[in-house]
Order: sequence, then C-alpha cells, then structure tokens
Amino acid sequence: MSKNLLNTSLGSLKLKNPVITASGTFGFGTELNDYLTVSNLGAITLKGITVNESEGNDLPRIAETPAGILNSIGLENPGIKKFRKNIIPEIKDLKVPVIANISGYSINDFRHLAAEIEKEKIIKAVEVNVSCPNIKNGGMAFGTDSEMIFQVSKEVRKVYSGPMIVKLSPNVTNIVEMAKAAVEGGADIVSLINTLLGMAIDVEKKKAVLANTFGGLSGPAIKPVALRMVYQIYENIDIPIIGMGGIMSGEDAVEFLLAGASAVGVGTATLRDPDASKKIINEMKNYFKENDINSVKEIIGKAHY
Amino acid sequence: MKIKSNKKIGPEIYKMQLMSDKKITGEPGQFIHLKINSDSYDPLLRRPFSIFDLDYTKNLLTIIYKVCGRGTELIKKFEKNDKVEILGSLGNGFDINKNNKDILLIGGGMGIAPLYFLAKKIKDENNIKVLLGANKASELNFLENKFSKLGIEVFNATLDGSLGFEGTVIDLLNNIDITKNEIDYIYSCGPTEMLKKLKSIVTENKIKAEASLEERMGCGVGVCLSCTVKTTKGNKRACKEGPVFPLKEVIFNE
Repeated sequence: MSKNLLNTSLGSLKLKNPVITASGTFGFGTELNDYLTVSNLGAITLKGITVNESEGNDLPRIAETPAGILNSIGLENPGIKKFRKNIIPEIKDLKVPVIANISGYSINDFRHLAAEIEKEKIIKAVEVNVSCPNIKNGGMAFGTDSEMIFQVSKEVRKVYSGPMIVKLSPNVTNIVEMAKAAVEGGADIVSLINTLLGMAIDVEKKKAVLANTFGGLSGPAIKPVALRMVYQIYENIDIPIIGMGGIMSGEDAVEFLLAGASAVGVGTATLRDPDASKKIINEMKNYFKENDINSVKEIIGKAHY
Repeated sequence: MKIKSNKKIGPEIYKMQLMSDKKITGEPGQFIHLKINSDSYDPLLRRPFSIFDLDYTKNLLTIIYKVCGRGTELIKKFEKNDKVEILGSLGNGFDINKNNKDILLIGGGMGIAPLYFLAKKIKDENNIKVLLGANKASELNFLENKFSKLGIEVFNATLDGSLGFEGTVIDLLNNIDITKNEIDYIYSCGPTEMLKKLKSIVTENKIKAEASLEERMGCGVGVCLSCTVKTTKGNKRACKEGPVFPLKEVIFNE
C-alpha cells in the first residue's frame, strides 16, 4: 500500500505522486540533479518554449514582495528548434513524465509548437501557456479572453494527440468561463494558477522595481486566490485539475487536493529550496499516514462535501 | 552551518563568520546562498554573498555585507551559535591559474569582498596591487587593513576624499598610468557602472580582465533566469556560468 500511497492520475497520464514542478522553476529538468532525484517526482514541467529564441526582458527581472516574488523573466528560452536539437537529447533518459510548456504570440505559433512537440516521444503532455503576463502581444492576452482560449485549445488539439493541459491565468473576472472554454477546445487537463499581474515601486528611485514595470506575483501570498479558483473550477468542470500557487509544504499541497486538484505544481518553493518538491512529497506522505488516508483519490475535492 | 560571529566593521557593514562540522569547499569568486528564515516565508528568497575568506582547515567561512534592505536588516541580527541554511559554494569563480604576473585587483564598495580571498590565494605566485573604492574612509578601514596584512600594496579612493584619492576607484585607475605599470591581468568586482567603465579602459589598453558581477538573483542555482547576463557568447546566468566572467565578453546596457 505504502509504495503507491501517493499515486494519482490526470486522465491517461499516470503519476507516482501528485507533485509536478511548475514551468520556469525547474529549468529543463537536469539543472537540479545535485539537490533531488528527478525520477522521484510526479512529473516535471519544462521552461516555456516559444517558436523563436528569446532573450527575455531587461533586468531587474525579479523583485521580492511580502511572502512572494514578482518576476518578469519574459520567457527567455532557446526556441523550439534548438530545444529539439539540444535539450531533447539531454532529457531523453529522464525516468519521469516530462511536460513541455509552449507559449505563443499567435494561434499559428501554438499550432506550430504543438506539432513539433508531437514529434518528441519523451514529452508525455503539453501545457499550453495562455497566461504568461510577461510577454507583449500574446501570452496573457490569450488567457483573459475565453474565445481565444477556445481557439488556441482547438488548434493545438488538431495537431497534438497526447494529454493537453491548458494553463489558466488568474487575471480574469470569471475563471470558470475560461476553464470551460479550454474544455470546449479539447483540453484534457487544466492547470492553474499562473502568476497574478502586479508591481513594486522603489521609493528612493521613485520608479518601478522591475525593468518591465509589471510582473507576475507568485509564492505563498497568492495561495488563497489559487485555492479559491481551483475550488470554483472543480465545481463546474469535469476534467482533472493541476492546482498551483504558493505551495510550500505538504499541507499546502493537500489543501489543493481537498479543493479539487488531482495533482499540484510546485514553483516558487523551488527558488527558495532547490529540493522543495522532495520535501513536499515526504510531507504529503506523512499527512496521509497520520490521517489514515489510503489514496489521493480519497481526498480530491473533499472540501466540497 | 553555525554562526561564529556577526560583527559591525563599518557604517552598516558587517562581517559574519560561519562554521561547519563538515568540510567546506569554495574558491575565490564563488558565493553562498543564505536562507534568512526557516520559520517564515517573508522574506522568501535566500541572499547571495561572495566568499570573503575561507579557512579550509578550520572549516570557517567569512562573508562581508552591507545592510541595504529587508534581508540584510534581519541577517545583521543573527547571533553567535544561530544555525543557518546555506547553499554552496555556488557559481564559477575567478580563473586563478596565474603565475608570475603583475596583477591588479579593483574593488568597488562591497565588491571588494571576493577580492580578499582571491588575493590570499594568488599572492605568493604573483605581484599584486589592489585598488579599493568606497564612499568614505570608515567603509574602507577594515578592508584596507586586511589587504595590508597580506603584504599587498593598497591604493584607496573615496568619494569624499577622507581616505586616499578623492573620487571613484575608476578615477583612481585613470590617474595611475596603467600603460606604464605593465599590468598583465585585472580582477574586479563592483557596481555595474564601475565595471562598464573598466571594460572600456582595459579594452583600450589591451589588458585581460575578469569581473564578478553583482546581479539581483532569485534561486542561485540556475533555474529561474532572473540574473541573466548578456555576453558576446549569448545569455549566461550570473549564478551558474558566473558570477565571474571575462570582462570583454560582458555586454553592458547603454
């Protein structure tokens, strides 16, 4: 029993535990080998990929805020070509489900990226990032418009046969409407939340701390918002949810399961402790044992009854 | 690791010694990533400090820091025997494979910190001079003394002229005719503005130089891409490929 205690599934995607590293906080899967054993994780999500190579935004790209971080990295990445040529060979032997995260400036971008990912058998699922707050002309512009979410999901669905995750932005009035649009477009899973758009101001320089002015807020500060949105979506749609937003401990992760998530994303915690995911898995295991819970399934959505 | 001491050595400048039961490894130019709190998420991130000194036999590591924000305000209150979580040593340090060279060390402000450990390591094989820059004498007294004790000739620059040359460390460098001083190599660390000016001087005089960059870091282990440095060889991470880079490769913003 104990060995499979934390098993969970996201539709056809089977995970040995619910902990997935969140995109942009785990590089391309091999950077943190000194700190944890990647194969012990539920899954890993790679840094977001765009069609063309991107240098990202100007510095400063990060600002610390109360129990949180604002970032405006701006999707610095090698682009899909170099990703396939240089990164795929490095990760092909990883013994963990690998999720690719794709981000586009147009529907064509998303379709092209998904078609390229389709060719890579090591990638077990694709996460469609319609919610990056840090790129202009795209990113979050898609994720705050339900019609665009529907269109992007539908186009990706045409070319990608594996599990499709749509990553939702919290910067909307009605998150349920966005999730429904993803489902209608053919999404198998939704992940949420991406970061909340925010800013910090330096009172000495009298200007924004981030070179990009605005950035995405993550960390414990956003956990209540994330939980609420997962809870709302669970009540209204039937596909599995990956819950994320400020998960720092096993108990935080359990809260998301109780709200309705089948798996959780760990992001900002890794930036504080590179081995945070490992610690969170162990703490979840302890919680399950102490509370006589025999499977993840048993507690998914339990807070609703 | 455990704190051995945490003392004020200048205006808002502190020296902290950390000791460990285990072997501490680290090279000049590398840094440690120190967790401020284990029982609170505020502040959330660790803080990077370059190694000021490392005694391999006593497993004693020293950092120097200036209190300049929420993190260091808390760190300055750390007391003897407090336990702290450290990642490191991290990053790529200075290329110390130098022999029989005339070397100049140039440090501005807290950028002086990594140069001391470097000087200690390479002083016996090379002929070293050091240029230190700060706002005022009280910021430099401790550091000047440390370098002097190594038997290294120190030249100071202070903005208010209270010690040595009046001006920046770059003004001081311009004041010394480096073409006549036959310098083979420069190691430097300091604010971006200083390094940018240094780059044009060494380019003009065809002197090889390395610089340790002070970038705002997130994770310190190469995954968040907060500390990206633009170089002639593409984007690099200050925390992973750096913080030390050949100065000619660093592309500074206009």
